[in-house]
Amino acid sequence: MITLAQDVQNTMSTGESIAFWVLGPLALFGALGMIFARNAVHSALFLVLTMLSLGVTYMVQQAPFLGFVQIIVYTGAVMMLFLFVLMLVGKDSSDSVVEVLRGQRLAATILGVGLAALIVTAIARSLTEVTPVGLQGVEANGGHGNVENLGRSIFTDWLFAFELTSALLITAAVGAMVLGFVDRHTRGRKTQRELVEMRFRGEHDRPSPLPGPGVFATSTSVATPALLPDGSVAPESLSRLIDSVGAEDLDEEREAITGSAHGAEARALNPSTREGESS
Amino acid sequence: MSALVTAISLAQDPPAKETLAPIDYGAIMPMLIILGAACLGVLFEALLPRHQRWSAQVALTLLALVGAGVTMAFYIADAPADGTLTLAGAIAVDRPALFLWGTLLALALGAVLMIADRTVEPGGAFVAQAAIRPGTVQDREQRLGAHPDRRDGARFQMQTEVFPLTLFALGGMMVFCSANDLLTMFIALEVLSLPLYLMCGLARRRRLLSQEAAVKYFLLGAFASAFFLYGLALLYGYAGSVRLADIANAAAGSDRSDTLLFGGMALLIVGLLFKGSVGPFHAWTPDVYQGAPTPLTGFMAACTKVAAFGGILRVLSVGLESTQWEWRGIMWGVAIVSMIIGAVLGLTQTDIKRMIAYSSIAHAGFLLIGAIVLTPDGLSSTLFYLLAYGFTTVATFGVISLVRDADGEATHLSQWAGLAKRSPLVAGVFTFLLLALAGIPLTSGFIGKFVVFSAALSDGMAPLVVIALIASAVAAFFYLRVIVLMYFSEPAPDGPTVTVPGAFTTASITLGVVVTLLLGIVPAFALDWADAGTFALR
Repeated sequence: MITLAQDVQNTMSTGESIAFWVLGPLALFGALGMIFARNAVHSALFLVLTMLSLGVTYMVQQAPFLGFVQIIVYTGAVMMLFLFVLMLVGKDSSDSVVEVLRGQRLAATILGVGLAALIVTAIARSLTEVTPVGLQGVEANGGHGNVENLGRSIFTDWLFAFELTSALLITAAVGAMVLGFVDRHTRGRKTQRELVEMRFRGEHDRPSPLPGPGVFATSTSVATPALLPDGSVAPESLSRLIDSVGAEDLDEEREAITGSAHGAEARALNPSTREGESS
Repeated sequence: MSALVTAISLAQDPPAKETLAPIDYGAIMPMLIILGAACLGVLFEALLPRHQRWSAQVALTLLALVGAGVTMAFYIADAPADGTLTLAGAIAVDRPALFLWGTLLALALGAVLMIADRTVEPGGAFVAQAAIRPGTVQDREQRLGAHPDRRDGARFQMQTEVFPLTLFALGGMMVFCSANDLLTMFIALEVLSLPLYLMCGLARRRRLLSQEAAVKYFLLGAFASAFFLYGLALLYGYAGSVRLADIANAAAGSDRSDTLLFGGMALLIVGLLFKGSVGPFHAWTPDVYQGAPTPLTGFMAACTKVAAFGGILRVLSVGLESTQWEWRGIMWGVAIVSMIIGAVLGLTQTDIKRMIAYSSIAHAGFLLIGAIVLTPDGLSSTLFYLLAYGFTTVATFGVISLVRDADGEATHLSQWAGLAKRSPLVAGVFTFLLLALAGIPLTSGFIGKFVVFSAALSDGMAPLVVIALIASAVAAFFYLRVIVLMYFSEPAPDGPTVTVPGAFTTASITLGVVVTLLLGIVPAFALDWADAGTFALR
């Protein structure tokens, strides 16, 4: 096993080649699919495919830690968060595709391709002289495994950087709370008791609710004004938005209620049959 | 297979017990105090009732700043002259680092006093509840103060989380100045940036503008961090290490392909220049300076610049000194672009905060001249310039926060017309600060420019110095324009009034003005301190 791992340092084994030729096109397919997919969710899933392929490639390349981190952190956590956000925003909502700056898309394409070409050639040139070093075996990493060495360097050489990330996490948590949390008392929602006290302190126009149209009315319409006990119209009950019924139109009903016309109708004051109280 | 190999190697060779290199707690104590106080402040937020938080946080923050300063003073008394490396070489506590720490702590003291002030703007410049949407009824209520009879007793409140966040940012800046490897530097960069992004969006007034500034700063800052990180990765690929000294060794004598070195260097420096709001990487500066709450703008303008240039100085002199002939020409160009952008665009501004932002871009160009002179003179002059510029800036933003009308700060230049007739004292102080920014003798700005330019001249940068002088002359014009506007114009009838500040803001402005004056008249003590030693090259 160990000799096999050492051989791998310079040549690619058959298994590795097969893995590469399976995973490489898959990763590329995922990357292209991500760009060209119309649906945002499909796009995210294509990215997941790319990330999974890369994760497996890392593992084949003797970097199990990197591979697992790739899958657990990127694919598992970050991409799922992405999907959550997409689902919350609504997968059908799409950005405006109107170009604000003229020729922006063309310029971006040319510059992007140019930058990619520059980076790829630069890195390709600089890697020609490099001799690959395996991550495992007796010679590399002092004979210890990759994971073990990572743990060692995190808790010795890079202890301070590692501890300092806690400041970052605290800041992020505090920030999320600052931007997201509204105290109930300052949201403006008052308790019923506070509202009652405010009414009687005179901070509202009147202590009681406005009279509805139905107190002495016989109609269900909101346009029907409430009648005060003396038969006059209660002005607060008149809606400012709706043309109310003229007071003289109600004379007949007023007479009916006060009993000055033909005898009072018991039904008009009977709660079980009265309608329009709440309207 | 790999897991199996790991298992075999584990079985063959049980891991030895790791021992940690001894940590020089005395040297890093100021940093630990600041970061520890920040954590304590978060606990205060969680545990204290609302009405006690403001006073507890202010007391804690000021105590931490003073405590860190005192600890540092004790340490300096018997610190090794050529610095010390601690925490497994991640932190270099040398003379420049100590100078920068002192500067940062003093500037943060001034800025925290301004942040804590609740008299200029009732309740402070920070919003009471950031989560309430701008423009709603609740938002209006929290801006104008809740009803006097509210049960929780506090009419005006502020989001007191800003105090621990400020301390976190300050701690990140201190680490950034003294980080001896790029990885620690990157994490410190994030620790200092994240709280700043957040606090930019917490202004009490003009909240949409403030939130826009925060989003802009965050997005552009994330880009810059990505640049830094990519440069770091390429440099690691080149040198096989992220320690500055190892990169310097690799660059000094190796036949490795230089593509990775130059690519990494370029990306890394772009990330750093962004933080220092230099030259063509300045796009965020005017919007963020304008939108952020003014006390925070003061903190950001002064302290971030100190930290960023501290980092640039260290990276250039420790890590990339041997390749200076490759990058020097480009940095000349960047410095020139920065000075010209700052001076010329500053002329066209009508908002005073934007104008100061462009002025800071021009100053970043001047600072960069000092930073690329890799002699001890260059180092000490840049450090002095940072100290001088920082105090002037904090006081400038303090004065800007005083000139107000019904809508909050009156930042439009036309509203400053005839200010001297309304308040001669404020106009006088502001004139003095603008003269210091312009670099007129008897102010710290003059001495700062003088030492930087003379260091550059002695290192053979005469053309650059000539351009810098022209740029400062152009920049002086827009400072003078404000002075003329304040003294020789009639005040508008419905113009702004000058708020009489409370003790905190008064103390902060006084501190800035006194230091600006002192450094202009008797700069020798500060120059000696800045000249005390160079970076620990290990």
